[in-house]
This record gives sequence, C-alpha cells and structure tokens, in this order.
Amino acid sequence: MSPASHIALRFTVSRKRSLALSLVGVIFGVAFFILTQAQTQGFERYFIQTIIGTSGAVIISDRFQSRYTSFSDAGARAAEDVMRSRGQGRRKYYEGITNAAEIMRVARQFSNVSACAPVVQGTVGIRSNFTSEVLSVQGVDLDAQLAATALRSQIIAGRIEDYRASRAGVMLGSLLADKLQVGVGDTVQMTGPDPKPRTFTVTAIFRTGNNIIDERRGYIEQRAAQGLLKKPGLVSVIIVKLRDPDRAPEIAAHFERLFGHRARSWQERERGNLQIFSTLRLSAGITVSLIILLAGFLIFNTLTMAVMEKIREIAILRSMGYRRLDISVIFLGQGILVATIGSVLGAAAGALFTYLVSLIPIKVTGFFYTDRFLVAWSWQHYLTAAAIAFIAVLGASFLPARRAANLAPVATLRGSGQ
Amino acid sequence: MDDTASSLACHGLEKYLGEDESRVHVLRGVSLAINPGEVHAVVGPSGCGKSSLLYILGLLDRPDAGTLWIGREEIATLSDDLLSARRNEELGFIFQFHFLLQDFTAIENVVIPMRRLGGSTDGEMRERAAGLLDAVGLSDKADRSSRALSGGEQQRVAIARALANDPAVILADEPTGNLDTANSARVFALLKDLVHRERKALLLVTHNPAIAQACDWIHTMRDGLIVDSAWHG
Ligand SMILES: Nc1ncnc2c1ncn2[C@@H]1O[C@H](COP(=O)(O)OP(=O)(O)OP(=O)(O)O)[C@@H](O)[C@H]1O
Ligand SMILES: [Mg+2]
Repeated sequence: MSPASHIALRFTVSRKRSLALSLVGVIFGVAFFILTQAQTQGFERYFIQTIIGTSGAVIISDRFQSRYTSFSDAGARAAEDVMRSRGQGRRKYYEGITNAAEIMRVARQFSNVSACAPVVQGTVGIRSNFTSEVLSVQGVDLDAQLAATALRSQIIAGRIEDYRASRAGVMLGSLLADKLQVGVGDTVQMTGPDPKPRTFTVTAIFRTGNNIIDERRGYIEQRAAQGLLKKPGLVSVIIVKLRDPDRAPEIAAHFERLFGHRARSWQERERGNLQIFSTLRLSAGITVSLIILLAGFLIFNTLTMAVMEKIREIAILRSMGYRRLDISVIFLGQGILVATIGSVLGAAAGALFTYLVSLIPIKVTGFFYTDRFLVAWSWQHYLTAAAIAFIAVLGASFLPARRAANLAPVATLRGSGQ
Repeated sequence: MDDTASSLACHGLEKYLGEDESRVHVLRGVSLAINPGEVHAVVGPSGCGKSSLLYILGLLDRPDAGTLWIGREEIATLSDDLLSARRNEELGFIFQFHFLLQDFTAIENVVIPMRRLGGSTDGEMRERAAGLLDAVGLSDKADRSSRALSGGEQQRVAIARALANDPAVILADEPTGNLDTANSARVFALLKDLVHRERKALLLVTHNPAIAQACDWIHTMRDGLIVDSAWHG
C-alpha cells in the first residue's frame, strides 16, 4: 500500500459515520440502477422475442420496381434522378411473391438464415354461432411455420397434431376466440372474396400476448387460404428466421437488392415501440442516477469538511515530505474507497433485488404475455452503474482533494500560533 | 557528505510577509552556515523572524531573495516535489507546537515519514520507531492514541518523528517549550548527543537561556537580522 493510501484508509475509518451515509447512497444508487435496467431491458427483450417469434426477424413481401425502369426516355430518367437525390426514391409495388419457392431456396443459403416460411395473408369474415368478426387469415405451411416462428409455444388450448390431422382446421388467436365464444372443437365459417362460406373446425388456440395479433389472427392451411382469398398460387409474405436477429437490418437490405422484393427487419417494423422501451430505460437510468449524484454531493460535503478539519495535519504531512500528489491521493483515496465498496455492494444488492423482483407474479398482456416480472441479466448494467458511481464520487472528491493538495503548509503552520 | 561542505547554509535570505500596506520585511538578509556535528541556537525577541527563518531553512517556504544550500545542493531551482523529497530525506522538523496526526498512535506517527521514504518493511519501521520513542522516554506509550498523550508527551513523539528518517539536518522551533525541566534537559541532551555522535546539524530556536548556553553557537536575531553570532564550543 502506498504511504498516502495508508493514511487515506485511516482518515476514512475515522470519518466512517459521515462517509457511511455517502456509501449507503452509492450502494442504493448502484443497486436501483441495476434493478431498473434489468427490468426495462427484461421487458424489452421479451417484447422483441415475442415479435420475432410471431412475425419473424425479416419479412419479405411485395415485389417492387423502380419507377425509372418503367420509363425509357432520358427525360424521365433525369426526373427520377432528381427525385432520388431528394431522398424520395419512389417505388412501385406489385402485390405478393410469385416465385416464393425460388426466393426461399436462395435465402436458406445464407448462413444467418435458419428457417423460412411462406404465408398467404388476407382479410375475411368469420362467424360463429354467437357473432361475426374480422379475421386476418394466415395461410401457412405448418412445418415451415413451426420452424420459423414460436407458434408451438404459443398454443394454449388444443393440439398442433389435431390441426395437422384435421382436413379443415383453424388455429385462432385467444382474444378472437373469446369474442367469437368458441373453443377447441367448435366450428366457424369464413367468407372471403369467394362468397361461398367455408366451414373450419377450431383445433387450437394460441396466445402471442400481443393483443393486436391475438384478436385478429387465425392460421389455416395454405391451399385453403388461397382458395378462400381467390389467390391461387400466391404467397403474400415470407417469414425469415435468423440465427442472429441483431443483424436483421443488413440481411433485409441485402434481400431487397437481391430479390427485388420489399424486406423489412423487426427493428424497422417495430421502431416506434422499440423507441418507447429505450426511452423508458433511459429515463429510469437518469432518475436513478440522481441517487448516485446525491451520494456524490454528500461525499463532496464530507471531504470538504475533512480537508478543513485536517488542515494542520496536511501541513505536517507536507513538512515531513509528503508531496502534493500524496495529499490529493489521501482525499481522492477516500472517494475511491467509497466508490469501490459502494459499487461492489451495490452490484450485489442489485443482483439480489433483480432476482427477487423476477419472482414477483404479475400478469401482462398487450405487447406480450407474461405472468411474472421479466428481468434481463446483463453485465453491462453493472458496469454502467459502477462507471456512474466512480464518475460521480471521484468528481465530487476531486475539488476537495485538489484544495488540500494546494494548501501552502507554511500558511497553516504560521497561523497556528507561531 | 564530505566535511568541507556545510550541512545547511544560507546567504542574504530576505522574506516579506503580508500584502500591500501590512507588508512586513520579516527577514532582511540572514546568512548562516551550520556544519556537521554542530548545534546552533537562535535567540531573539518574539516577532523578530525566528520561525520565518526556520520555515525557509526547512524548505516549507521560499525566500524572496538570497540563496540556500542543503549540503552542496542549491535548492532555489528545485521543484515542489523535489523539495518534498529533500524534506523527507534530509530534514527533520520539530514545530513550536506539537503537531501529531490525531488518528494515529504514537508509534504510527513516528512511522509516517518512514513510509514516505520507503525501502523498509513494516517490521523494520516499527522497530526503529520503537527505538526512537524509547530514546525520548515513551517506550511504554508507543501504542497510545496520540489524542491520549499529554502536551509534553506529544512534543516528545514529534521529536522522535523528526528523527525518523535519520535526517542530516534537524530544525527545531522551541522543541522544549512544553516540557518540564527534567524532560527538557533529557530531550536536549538526546538531540545534542545525536548531533555530536553522528555528525548531524541542529538549529534550534529557544527562549531558554540554559539551553542556548549549552549550544555550540548562539545567533541573536533582531528585526529580521542576525545581529550577533557567538561560538561557545
Ligand atoms: N502573514 C503575515 N503577514 C504579515 N506579517 C506576518 C505574517 N506572519 C507573521 N508576520 C510577522 O512576521 C514577523 C516574524 O514572525 P515570526 O513568526 O517569524 O516570529 P518569531 O521570531 O518566530 O516569534 P515568536 O518568538 O513569537 O515565535 C512577526 O512580526 C509577525 O508579526
Ligand atoms: Mg516563532
């Protein structure tokens, strides 16, 4: 131990009561910071997991064509260039995907792509004995759908195997089933562009937790959907599952260029919601950081008083050959000690709080479904909390330490009666 | 250090204190040379500048004019950190008022300068500190908190502390001011014996004529000047 830190330690011990208060502040600040980050990120991660599990990391949809290719004369080309330079690159869309098998074959060759599922989408009417509703019908290839989404884990009633075995089965969203007052085994009728109603048997009910999906969606066999929607052979979208969903934007951009089809990453699709989560996380972080800042003020106060109280001892230390740097280390050292102990104990308390909170039962639906508090465990939360604690505490210790270091020993010694 | 050089020497030291109107010419050209093995006393009326001189000689203050050597080194050009190093290695300072670090025991106070110097283990430092405390008659109080020592005891701890790093030069501002006659004589005898035996240099400010008479040199100061230097050796 350096001679200065030895003295710092002793000074800290002799001021333990006032420093303890700051220490408690740092501990709670760090712990709460970790807790709030764990919670907000826990919910955010689960939300992301839900949307990726339900709609895939990347969705490939309509074909587009640059307007520019549809005109051949130079004038139009120039006009298009002007539009592009304004950032308005306008594209013309053609509904759906006609060469789905080909696109999926190519897409599967990307190492990041783990599964693809073609889906036929459309809106039809659905009727039960009780009432009629609007159904966003999803015509799926069951095995591809199971591979590319989390559908299997979303089933809350009935069995996938029954759906597979039945000739005209439908899997309904839980909220829609509630509205229609139907359960597994009941029949419903669907009416699409083809006015002849078709009968389906409810073989399973799923819950994604996302209300918008759960009150509208139903899955039926692909061919049946194409018939119902009068779109034989058409695929509306391809759901792409990625091994590394964080890279979805790059993959999506690549697919657009490669296939000439619109491809949207989950980050793009859910930008608004994701922004809400990150704003919440930031505001919780700022609020809780204030506790740490408060602890910083306490330290500042304590150390400023300590410097005044030890002014004679500082002069003696200087007369014995302690350098300016040693003197600042003595006071900064007290801050470092508080920040270190505070961060370590705060991190432990934060982990404990996070664990305890994760046990709290709570029912959440709307964005996603959960029956307990969601928390994320991330070392980054701990590192950030410790960094904030060190910045606040060392920042607060710096001024008193510098003041102590710059005290002229002779002024103190002379003022003390000689 | 070879014997042709003084342990401590100064020439024409001047010092002003205070600002503007209250500016005082505290030292007006002080010259001194203290050789190894010599004990010097500085006497003079209160306010004549004795302490101010000691602070400058102790590298705690800088003179406004004049030169100062420790051994063969001229110190005017030294940085603050090097001055600190010289104070630690070469100088022992005993203040007019005993100044101990409150949160430390007697022996820990003596160890503090040794820690800064470095190069010894904790055990070695404590052993040496215990020897010094024994020499000032405090071996039984080594582990007492400095708060629990009397004024005279604290003064003696401060003397032991000044000797901690075996300094070549000891500067003492009325080191026996707080001591009874017996302890005063004992401490002075200790310092004097040490200086003569180990060829150190001691400059002490004193109001005690008996102690002054027992020194090798007596310098009489008046109004910032040494008006008389007498050899008693
Ligand atoms: N900050 C200051 N500003 C102006 N004058 C000062 C200041 N400090 C000390 N003095 C003056 O400098 C002179 C020398 O002071 P110094 O402490 O050296 O005297 P001294 O000889 O040690 O006295 P004593 O025997 O009482 O300890 C005194 O006249 C004192 O009033
Ligand atoms: Mg004085």
